[in-house]
Amino acid sequence: MMHSLQARYHRVVGNKTFVFPLVLFLLVVVVNLYLQNNMLAPRVLNANLRSFTPLIFLAVGQTLVIIGGSIDLSLGTIMSLVAAVMVTRFTDDASTSQFLLIVLLGIGVGLIAGALNGLLVAYIRLPSFITTYAISYIYAGIALWILPRPGGTVPILIARAYRALIPYGIPIGVFLVLILLLLWSFLRSTRFGTFLYAIGGYIRAAYTSGVPVERHRLVTHMIAGAIAAFAALFFVLNTGSSDARIGQQLTLDSIVATVIGGTPLSGGIGGVAGSILGVLILGFIRNIVSFANVNSWFQPVVDASIILVALATPGFVNLIRQQFVKKY
Amino acid sequence: MITFSSQDVVKHYAGVVALARGNLEARSNEVVALIGANGSGKSTLCKIITGVVAPDEGQLLLNDQSVSFAAPHEALRVGISAVYQELSLVPTMSVSENIFLNHEPLSYNIVVNRRAIRQKTQSLIDLFAGTVRPSLTPDTLISSLPPDEQQIVEIIKAISQDPKIMILDEATSSLDNRQVTRLFELIKQWKSQEKAIIFISHRMGEIFRIADRVTVLRNGRTVDDHKTDDVTEKQLVNLMVERDAIEFQPASSLDSRISELGQKPVVLRVVDLQTDILKKVSFELHQGELLGIGGLQGQGQTHVLKALFGAIPSDGNITYNEQALISKHPTHAMRMGVAFVPGDRAREGLLFRTSIFENLLLPSWSRYGAFLKIGLARKDANKSAESLRVVMDGIDMPVSSLSGGNAQKIVIGKWLQRKPSLLLLNDPTKGVDVGAKGEFYELLSVLQKSGTSIIFYSSDDEELIGLCDRVLVMYDGRIRRELAGTDLSLVNLIAASLDTSGEDWA
Repeated sequence: MMHSLQARYHRVVGNKTFVFPLVLFLLVVVVNLYLQNNMLAPRVLNANLRSFTPLIFLAVGQTLVIIGGSIDLSLGTIMSLVAAVMVTRFTDDASTSQFLLIVLLGIGVGLIAGALNGLLVAYIRLPSFITTYAISYIYAGIALWILPRPGGTVPILIARAYRALIPYGIPIGVFLVLILLLLWSFLRSTRFGTFLYAIGGYIRAAYTSGVPVERHRLVTHMIAGAIAAFAALFFVLNTGSSDARIGQQLTLDSIVATVIGGTPLSGGIGGVAGSILGVLILGFIRNIVSFANVNSWFQPVVDASIILVALATPGFVNLIRQQFVKKY
Repeated sequence: MITFSSQDVVKHYAGVVALARGNLEARSNEVVALIGANGSGKSTLCKIITGVVAPDEGQLLLNDQSVSFAAPHEALRVGISAVYQELSLVPTMSVSENIFLNHEPLSYNIVVNRRAIRQKTQSLIDLFAGTVRPSLTPDTLISSLPPDEQQIVEIIKAISQDPKIMILDEATSSLDNRQVTRLFELIKQWKSQEKAIIFISHRMGEIFRIADRVTVLRNGRTVDDHKTDDVTEKQLVNLMVERDAIEFQPASSLDSRISELGQKPVVLRVVDLQTDILKKVSFELHQGELLGIGGLQGQGQTHVLKALFGAIPSDGNITYNEQALISKHPTHAMRMGVAFVPGDRAREGLLFRTSIFENLLLPSWSRYGAFLKIGLARKDANKSAESLRVVMDGIDMPVSSLSGGNAQKIVIGKWLQRKPSLLLLNDPTKGVDVGAKGEFYELLSVLQKSGTSIIFYSSDDEELIGLCDRVLVMYDGRIRRELAGTDLSLVNLIAASLDTSGEDWA
């Protein structure tokens, strides 16, 4: 009886970890709409989504790594590094093929950085938390060396096209999210996806079942690095230049978005959809705070408090439910 | 036809010899049993055969050709799969995902075919139909399954690979009689399909039921290899432990003990204890009594103990030493002198990476003052490790360095530090070897003589018969029968376990 109930609970809620973030998301959107009436106008929405897009990519990469039982605290600095590489190579009037070549170069840099993380974590077996934190200073340092002062450039026509692109009246950001979700659901349905959950759930069981644990963890970190490179691409296209420090604070944001989205740091469960919602929730919370005329010195405090409440709510709900179960 | 053998395999762990000369041979159409006391190297030999660890010396021969495995998937590739003693399932994944982990059927060569996985899993579960609960489906999460069904999933997972050589390492330790019987029927089938089976168990009866040949390990060495028909139980036990078999208490003194106990005061009175599993359980416990709880696994035995300890919510009246024991929380029960020794030592009983010293003293630090008197604490820990006869390199070693039986002693030892007056034991000898069991029985009788009352749930029927003054047999959340005195026999216990419906149990 108990077991079947538990099983049913897991089937309904456990596999749909994004139920809670969905509720939170709707709440945030409603409040935001109240404060910013033109929020759903295509142009405004497009601008908002474009500014969220880099973090969406980072959070997706972070979620992969976290589901696999690891963490990447260098993800933001990989984005800084790739952005620095791109804006110093781009020219104002680069042709499409030149542009694509430099994008490929950036993705290559992301892959290499991710591979370095993966080698240290999977083969040398260093704890990912400390390793990727330490290595983030190397990526940040190289980024600063490449781009000492904020600046650089992007191909103007391509950037302008990207910013104005609203196909069928739907912001480009929505398409990017859909592409990410499609790729994720494909990955999830491959053997690679199953291994990811197995390794994050119980690495020893995965190993004894013959899962190539080391290679898989390496590849996971590489994918995260490549996704961070895309984050860099959409960031520089949106802003037209870059700053070597731009990604640093986004690392923690990507983790917060992942956790709000229902993927716990313990690994083995969760999914990407929730993390994307998590990024939107974070973004809209910041919108709300800035539209609510909060004293700008005080904004980070309000911002952080709301995030903290959002993080704590599932725990509270659990606590109350347990009390309830105990009584009956 | 296939033959597989390990030849003079040696394995050291950080200076400790785990395996000194491991020889084992498995052949098609044959079940070979590997037996030995805990720490004799059975699990190590298993791990070497399955590629989980690499041997330091010696070689593995497959059809007379030398093979070596760098990782489990290499052993799987040549057709060796195993049911591991420590479960190798991912708790956050479903039954079907676990079973086909790493050999998922694919569509278009890339996408995992979930429907096929579910269907195949269902037909594999059906092998055990009638012996598992209906809640065991391909989509059930592993973490929500009870231990016996997790073990069945392990077995199914191993056979789903269609191995040539299958290793069952303590695969029956969580199963009840009917499940074991079904497993043995299946093993006979698999045997006839040219598979070679390596069967590891502590239960002597099972070895004689299923094995064609027995290989005995002692202190990391293969000491004997016999046809099962040519040896007796007693000979095997003597080969395993270098001393005489354990002595059970003589049955003749039981009746006098019972009447003696009747005069002792009742310390625990349970009236109409109810949980979502238990249905109106009532019983009494005298001071210094060793009360057994038996029956098929999962009939609510563990729930009785947990409810008494306050680990799960319950209704009903519990009085302990004339005081109401309202077990809202384990700390409350602990304060009243109740101690609970969990059965799943890996998950509930021990911190594996922490030292033996810290594990032993974990529940009783409050006795050593705000600024801990470490010297005194160490002395106490040493004393108790000594009195439990723990085989170790010192109390500062992590618990993970101990063998299963010795680790179990630490679980009990840590509660004895608090000098409990009521001890609740939840299947404490599961997976413990014969020698350690004997020492454990001695420990129980010492405790009993000092006035400790003990409630003892065991899945080992013979153990209950041999040790206990009284045994409550549970079935479906109720006490089906109370056995004492001359009624207390194996036949009666098994009959009551099966609800005397006359089911075919063996």
